[in-house]
Amino acid sequence: MVGPLHYLVLAAALFALGAVGVVIRRNAIIVLMSIELMLNAVNLTFLTFSRFPLVVKGNDAPIAGHAAVFYVIAVAAAEAAVGLAIVIAVFRSRLTVNVDEIDSLKN
Amino acid sequence: MLEVNWLHLIPLLPLCGAAICGLVGNKLPKSWLYAVALGSVFTAFMIGLSAFGLVSSETGASALHERVFEWFTAGKLHVDLGLTIDRVSGTLVLVITGVGFLIHLYSVSYMDEDAAYWRYFAYLNLFVAAMLLLVLGDNLVAMFVGWEGVGLCSYLLIGFWFEDDAKASAGRKAFIVNRIGDFGFLLGIFVIFSQLGSVSFADIHGATFAAVPAALAALFLFIGATGKSAQLPLYIWLPDAMAGPTPVSALIHAATMVTAGVYMIARLSHLYMQAPGVLAVVAIIGALTAAWAALIATSQSDIKKVLAYSTVSQLGYMFIGVGVGSFVAGTQHLLTHAFFKACLFLGSGAVIHGLHGEQDMRKMGGLKKYMPHTRWTFLIATAAITGTIPLSGFFSKDEILGKALQTSIFNSLRMWPGGPFMTQLGLVIYLLGSATALLTAIYMWRCYYLTFEGDYRGGPDVHPHESHWFMTLPLWILALLSVVGLVLGLPEPIGEKLHLDWASWEHFSLGVFANPPISNNHESIPEWLTYGIALLIGVVGWRLAVYWFGSGSEERSNKLVAAFPRVHSAFEHKLYVDEFYNAVIVRPLWTGARVLWRVVDVWIIDGLFINGTAQSVAFIGSIARRFQNGDVQRYAAMTALGLAFLVYVFLR
Repeated sequence: MVGPLHYLVLAAALFALGAVGVVIRRNAIIVLMSIELMLNAVNLTFLTFSRFPLVVKGNDAPIAGHAAVFYVIAVAAAEAAVGLAIVIAVFRSRLTVNVDEIDSLKN
Repeated sequence: MLEVNWLHLIPLLPLCGAAICGLVGNKLPKSWLYAVALGSVFTAFMIGLSAFGLVSSETGASALHERVFEWFTAGKLHVDLGLTIDRVSGTLVLVITGVGFLIHLYSVSYMDEDAAYWRYFAYLNLFVAAMLLLVLGDNLVAMFVGWEGVGLCSYLLIGFWFEDDAKASAGRKAFIVNRIGDFGFLLGIFVIFSQLGSVSFADIHGATFAAVPAALAALFLFIGATGKSAQLPLYIWLPDAMAGPTPVSALIHAATMVTAGVYMIARLSHLYMQAPGVLAVVAIIGALTAAWAALIATSQSDIKKVLAYSTVSQLGYMFIGVGVGSFVAGTQHLLTHAFFKACLFLGSGAVIHGLHGEQDMRKMGGLKKYMPHTRWTFLIATAAITGTIPLSGFFSKDEILGKALQTSIFNSLRMWPGGPFMTQLGLVIYLLGSATALLTAIYMWRCYYLTFEGDYRGGPDVHPHESHWFMTLPLWILALLSVVGLVLGLPEPIGEKLHLDWASWEHFSLGVFANPPISNNHESIPEWLTYGIALLIGVVGWRLAVYWFGSGSEERSNKLVAAFPRVHSAFEHKLYVDEFYNAVIVRPLWTGARVLWRVVDVWIIDGLFINGTAQSVAFIGSIARRFQNGDVQRYAAMTALGLAFLVYVFLR
């Protein structure tokens, strides 16, 4: 029987993978992808609590989890569009997407 | 007490003179400058004379007073700048301005060749102004301003030739030693204010103090007096003060400033009478100083040093006088001493001037041939100081010694709690004072004989010559005054017979000082006997001096010196007091200052506190800087770690 714990552990694993990817990868596109991964891990958590409403006491409107997920998907799409646009713009001017080399604001 | 509105002119005129000489003196023609400097002092003298005439007439007011302006009010303390003249301060005003004027006149000739003559006269006028304020002030604070003012002028004039390092440091020494005493003076003022809520002499006059505060105030003020009036243990600055020009030594370091301590004690006689223990201290210190300085004076070869130690010794006599409760005798000796010591100093100045700066008596001798005026006046003043009858010094010194013998003021004092009474202290002081009188006669006649008698021992290229009349006139006037000063101290029967009893100081100053108790410890000793002893001592001292130095050289006395080489060398080296103070006070202070500088300041304050603070901030910053490196991913890692930590803490 697949219970809420399974979903939540999967979500945590996905979130951790995304977080590690954000921290250790140097390619800006991979970093953006890792952020998407984290957002989707969060989406999975929302859906879990929506699907198993009794896990949290007093959660009598499970539809709220779905609404939040749609909201996150919309924002994530916008974020991906803006982020990729920035990455392309940076690549055009500096011919690299390595985040370590994009440090002209430093100093 | 008569209220007037012109007393402020007396100190103000010399002050204006000082301002003019000091500010524009180098642009004025020399004769104008002299007119300003001498004129201001002389006008002050004339005003002082009229004030003196008012207070000394039998029918007039006993004192004049002027409230110049309200000075300051702070809480309970209210101080006016007030001036007051009574018979004593009036006489002193005449001495200060009169002798001061003579010394100004003398200085015109003495300092004529000095390029900084205008600075000299500015200082000298400023000194006269400060000294007048000291004498005239009607409260302790005003007196203290004058007290500090004369100290400042003394410092400026000792170090007048400041290009010479030794002279500059002699000035500093005088200033620093005086500051030690002034600290005591200030504490004394504080004690009196805390007890009385007032600092004016009029209030102190009528006040009754508790025993302990009276003793404390009197003792603190006496510490001030030991500094200013060069008593043990603070006398060391006065011999060094001879580095200044000789007229300065005559005015400041003989006639006026150094007697300020005696004047102060006499002015506060009512306070001191309430502290007989302190009076005993005053008398003992005075007697010890008199003897101590006289011993040193016997073996000095610098003519000015002899006179300086003689001054210290004579000041000791004055303190004996006020210490045994006879404020009349102390101030009387103050006056006569002002005349003959100023005359002696000016005489030595004339000698030094005539010998082009030579001060060593071993290179003098036989000067009576070249300087008849100087010689005669010096002779008269020497006779006065050694107590030759009937000159002024004889009467004033004998008055002090006689009062020391008779005094009963110490009868109620015990040597220690429960110990025997000090009834014989007066006798001890009398004996010590008489022994000192013998020494005085010896060293002063030695000074005279070595300088003026015998053959000239100086180099062939120095031609001794008599001075200008600007210098000899003051000498004669002062010599005359040291003779005429005898009227101050004539014994009553003789005075009455000559119709001079009105001029006797005891009669004249009646009512100004507190009266010592009437009872007499040694009734059986008649006055003529003490006179006889004093006279005998003077003659013996003179004969001894004639025997040793009569030929004008030290041939005979050298045998004595050869017999006691160590004693002589100790006296010659001023009994090693300077060396002692150096070892005990100055060097530890130096070492302490070096420790403070090198360890406390450089290491602890600069190193630990100042640089240490900066370095620790920089160190913490260098660590914190690593987190602020602009690497977003590292921020993210940190955020994640922090989040994980919070999750761990709250969900544990």
